[in-house]
Amino acid sequence: MNIIKIEKRLRRNTALLVMLFVIGGYAGFFLFSLQQKDKEDLLMNDAGRLIPVKVKEVAKGQEEEQIRQIILEAKKNGTKISIAGMQHTQGGHTYYKDAVVLDMTSYNKVLKVSKEEKLVTVQSGATWADIQEAVNPYGLSIKTMQAPNIFTVGGSMSVNVHGRDLRYGPLIESIRSFRLMNADGEVIRVSREGHPELFRLVNGGYGLFGVILEADIELTDDVLYKSSTEWMDYRDYPDWFKKNVLDHPDIEMHNSRLSVAPKHFLSEMYVTNYYKAGDEEGEKLEDYNELQDETYVRRNKFAFGLSRNSDWGKNFVWFVQKQAFKEGEEKWISRNNVMRPEVQFLEYEGKNDTDILQEYFVPIDRFPEFIDGLRDILTKNELNVLNITVRYVPSNEEAYLSYAQDDMFALVFLINQGRSDKDIEETGKVVRKIIDLALDMDGTYYLPYYPYPTMEQMRMAYPLTDEFFEKKREYDPEERFMNEFYEVYGR
Amino acid sequence: MRWVILSQGIAILGSSLVFPFYLIFIKEVGGGYLQYGISYGLFTISSAFVHLLVGRLSDKMGRKLFLLLSSWGMAFLVLFFPLVAHVWQIYALQILLGFVGAMQKTSEKALLADVTKKGSRGVTIGRYHFWTSVFSGVAVMLGGFMIDLFTLDIIFYASSLILFGSGFFVLKINEVREKENENGKPKAENTA
Repeated sequence: MNIIKIEKRLRRNTALLVMLFVIGGYAGFFLFSLQQKDKEDLLMNDAGRLIPVKVKEVAKGQEEEQIRQIILEAKKNGTKISIAGMQHTQGGHTYYKDAVVLDMTSYNKVLKVSKEEKLVTVQSGATWADIQEAVNPYGLSIKTMQAPNIFTVGGSMSVNVHGRDLRYGPLIESIRSFRLMNADGEVIRVSREGHPELFRLVNGGYGLFGVILEADIELTDDVLYKSSTEWMDYRDYPDWFKKNVLDHPDIEMHNSRLSVAPKHFLSEMYVTNYYKAGDEEGEKLEDYNELQDETYVRRNKFAFGLSRNSDWGKNFVWFVQKQAFKEGEEKWISRNNVMRPEVQFLEYEGKNDTDILQEYFVPIDRFPEFIDGLRDILTKNELNVLNITVRYVPSNEEAYLSYAQDDMFALVFLINQGRSDKDIEETGKVVRKIIDLALDMDGTYYLPYYPYPTMEQMRMAYPLTDEFFEKKREYDPEERFMNEFYEVYGR
Repeated sequence: MRWVILSQGIAILGSSLVFPFYLIFIKEVGGGYLQYGISYGLFTISSAFVHLLVGRLSDKMGRKLFLLLSSWGMAFLVLFFPLVAHVWQIYALQILLGFVGAMQKTSEKALLADVTKKGSRGVTIGRYHFWTSVFSGVAVMLGGFMIDLFTLDIIFYASSLILFGSGFFVLKINEVREKENENGKPKAENTA
């Protein structure tokens, strides 16, 4: 009897042990899998999704002291630092292999709005949307920013964006001063009077000189606009623009769009003007200045998806725009609402393909010639261009890496391309042809995008390229602030 | 029969959570329809050979052991999916999943045959498939819902936990008793 009992107990204990072993082993592997997965998440990418790179870690700073500690720690360990906002630059400007990525998006307070001075003091991780929320109640508005409002101030300064207001050049014009933390963790107040050289380097400096902490940005009044649309042939645009837009000071904002639909390929365009409303027209800003948010995201996403995949879809989307923006129709809208257009529907997460941006600047008068050359390139080569918008950029050469040495039209391209090496190579060939064309017209191209351009093209478009990178090493000799853009062009 | 249905229902719930969403996953690591075809084919072919082996072995060693190996084996294997970075890793996983999948299929059918008898077999098998299909259908919808709400990865973890849990229900199956029940012996005798 006893032996049977012992045997039974032994068997039960063995079974228990096996069970524990199985459960323990499984739990262990489960945790291991979770942990490994988190490591994979450090594979970083930007909005272009073409340069996946493994970074060491992503660090967020909410206080100045935290940011200093991150920098000093990196200095001690010899690690590189990349600075990131919304990561809508598309050439790896916001990260670097094995670097600590300083995510600034949580350093985002709007510190002070001065109605009298028309000035906002803001932490660099704040977005334009944050500023709009803060300044709209004071009847104030941003002078220069991208069309959408989703970007951070620090990121926008680092690419020195331009806007749609005809009166203001790139963002550097409205920056009064800012505080910069350098590679030693020291804070420098940078303005045109103090540290003028740094001022010209950090604006449009792609995060290579230090961490922008706070900036003082000049504002203008929020006003009521009357928008109206006109349709025209691209060949008439420069003269029409000079006569009907530049000579009319009541038009403050302007943008236009060129057809990429096969039926009107690069020939038809429509322009939208925003007139400052006069008092005699009887409309009041107060009735229009509540900030609007994006609507119809799904519907627009669907329509845009059609144009991504087919010529038919492109024709359809152009047709829809023709109905939506009829000539002569007028609409009242506050300046702040003009500066928060719909953009969410453009977000695209295709696994094998991605939507990228490109931007070229051409002197106003050479616009038709550029378009003819462009049409030639695009009919002979394969490139899925989804959208081209056109803006005016007055000349400004304050920043080292300035793109508008002349009064220019900026053409922003949205392109759908595959993510494989072969697709990147194919797109690169076409893009370099378009850049050559722009350079032939005494134009330039914009730097925040995929590193398709050659070193030679960069030097031609940006005559101060070599000085810029030398200054980088002068201010940051250990090259603490690193990114993939500097790796490609700067070293 | 209760434990058979419950354990296999849960196991199928676990695996159905993952299987229909393969295509998305393969695309994520850079594959296309061809890779999808290959990986599904590998799964089926690898399982073919195991069917032969498991059939013979389970006659000797019992079906329960293989149902258990299948549940726990699959629970273990799907944990690899979130870590996959190359298509070849998916192929390897598919072959191994084919092995454990075959263990389940053959043992399940053999067990059903063991515990049913001519005349009433259809009723039991119908009931078995009713429940397992319900579990499977719910899982597919749940899977889609979860991916939309969270990420693709989460269904692999959820599926793994469910599969692992189903193993414990397999343990509750008593093959001898099931057979006797079905062969019409009074219950009282069995439990005595």
